[in-house]
Amino acid sequence: MAEEKAYNKPLPEFRPETKPFWDAAKEHRLVIPRSKKTGEFFFYPRALSPDEEMSEDIEWVESEGKGKVWTFSIHHMGPSKAYKGEPPYAVALVEMEEGVKIMSNIVDVDPKEVHIGMEVSVVFDDVTDEVTLPKFRPA
Amino acid sequence: MTQHSFPGIEETRELLKKKRIVIAGVGETAQGKIPDKSSFHFLSEASKLAIEDAGIKKSDVDGLVTAFSLVEHTFMHCTTFADYFGMNPKFFSSVAVGGATAVWMAAEAAMAIASGQSEVVLCVRGDNTLSGISSSGMLALIREMCHAEFEFPYGLTTPGGYALAAQRYLHDWNSRPEHLASVAVTMRKHAADKENAMNKDPLTVEDVLESRVIAEPLHKYDCSIISDGGAAFIVTTEEKAKELGIENNLAYLWGMGQGYSHQYLTTLKDLEQIYGAVERSGQKAFTTAGIEPRDVDVAFLYDCFTITVLLELEGLGFVERGEGGPFALEGRMEKDKDLPVNTHGGLLSQAHLGAMHHVVEATLQLRGDAGRRQVDDAEVAVVHGNGGIVSAHSTVVLGNQPLM
Repeated sequence: MAEEKAYNKPLPEFRPETKPFWDAAKEHRLVIPRSKKTGEFFFYPRALSPDEEMSEDIEWVESEGKGKVWTFSIHHMGPSKAYKGEPPYAVALVEMEEGVKIMSNIVDVDPKEVHIGMEVSVVFDDVTDEVTLPKFRPA
Repeated sequence: MTQHSFPGIEETRELLKKKRIVIAGVGETAQGKIPDKSSFHFLSEASKLAIEDAGIKKSDVDGLVTAFSLVEHTFMHCTTFADYFGMNPKFFSSVAVGGATAVWMAAEAAMAIASGQSEVVLCVRGDNTLSGISSSGMLALIREMCHAEFEFPYGLTTPGGYALAAQRYLHDWNSRPEHLASVAVTMRKHAADKENAMNKDPLTVEDVLESRVIAEPLHKYDCSIISDGGAAFIVTTEEKAKELGIENNLAYLWGMGQGYSHQYLTTLKDLEQIYGAVERSGQKAFTTAGIEPRDVDVAFLYDCFTITVLLELEGLGFVERGEGGPFALEGRMEKDKDLPVNTHGGLLSQAHLGAMHHVVEATLQLRGDAGRRQVDDAEVAVVHGNGGIVSAHSTVVLGNQPLM
């Protein structure tokens, strides 16, 4: 068994209104909030829909996790020492089929291959016992 | 380009014509790596220099606008400084809109004066960012620049955020990294003539492209510098300046505006959303001033990264969408060319204190006090600030004569 290395990179701090997203991620499901009133998806999750209706009537819709890279940047420097040995890594904004954008990493691919318009699908990275980060890989 | 309408702008224009709000004094401390001075030391020193430049007494100042410190976090920055500096302002405010702050400090001072809250407002920023910030402080700053929950865990950095915008820009307009790089080259060329500038060594497009890649497509020299230092300016009216015996030529405030696009890149729809925010900010200021982009003699554009300047050039209407790159590469932002931009060297080469030095240099240009950097017949200047990841924008138009 490989030696366990503690995950010391920043983790998301859940808020009450975002917890369903992270709970689903832990179950390897990607859910995107949608206002029941307008039928509009939005991302990131908020307590009230950020549209004219300001609705608290929000449903979590399970996504197939498919999208395209809208933009990306291969990072050659991480934000802290915790990223030592990690770069180059790809940070991207993925435009989901639902219309919203999700920021994430593009993994399981040589960063040089990442390009705008690349079709990607969600994978789940269990970074700690408590937190799973949705990431994307080429579809 | 969309022509926006701004209800009430005529009244604002009439008010500015009547009040004749001016920048009457400026001060800047030495900029660079200065480890033996605190944030509040720089604030005080810059304030003193601006007061001395105006030739007034400290007690003539009755208003105070500060910003924030990246090193010494305070809940009430403006009054913390009032206490440290020893003053009792009638009007005080801390402005905190990232890189849009300095420009909006001028606007907020003007609004305070126009509404009778104050007569002589000291606007000041200073920080020991280079020497004083800890690695945890830097990480906290990066965290604040992006969504802590939905962006930060993916290793996004601040240059990385701008790189995401830059990558999309290159894609949408079929531009190349050398277009970005050429912005840094012009800023460096300008800094050579600015005594109080950190980086003056000549820089070529090749140098930029061969410098370390930080976050593709941005290289080291596509990124602004970090520095220690302070800068200040004094806002008052022409009438009060005369009463106080201020002898400086005055820079008159002709117009101001703001524009908001997004806070987090996650919610950005497309590049046009950014252009729209820059455009609304600029058009509001230009419309109040009664000018067109072509009337501007010298421009001060927020240059935290090279991409920022291209988005601003295009959003403000100096060039068409997508034409900023060739404009920069042809050297048309140089001092003696079509549109001199950041004659002091900007954040990319002079020093980084938000847009404080942009405001100071705009004032010096309009006064005719810019020395070797002086743009011939500089009558109209624009200063544009940008905060967040091209998120929040502010613009002022300044003239060397009263608004007519």
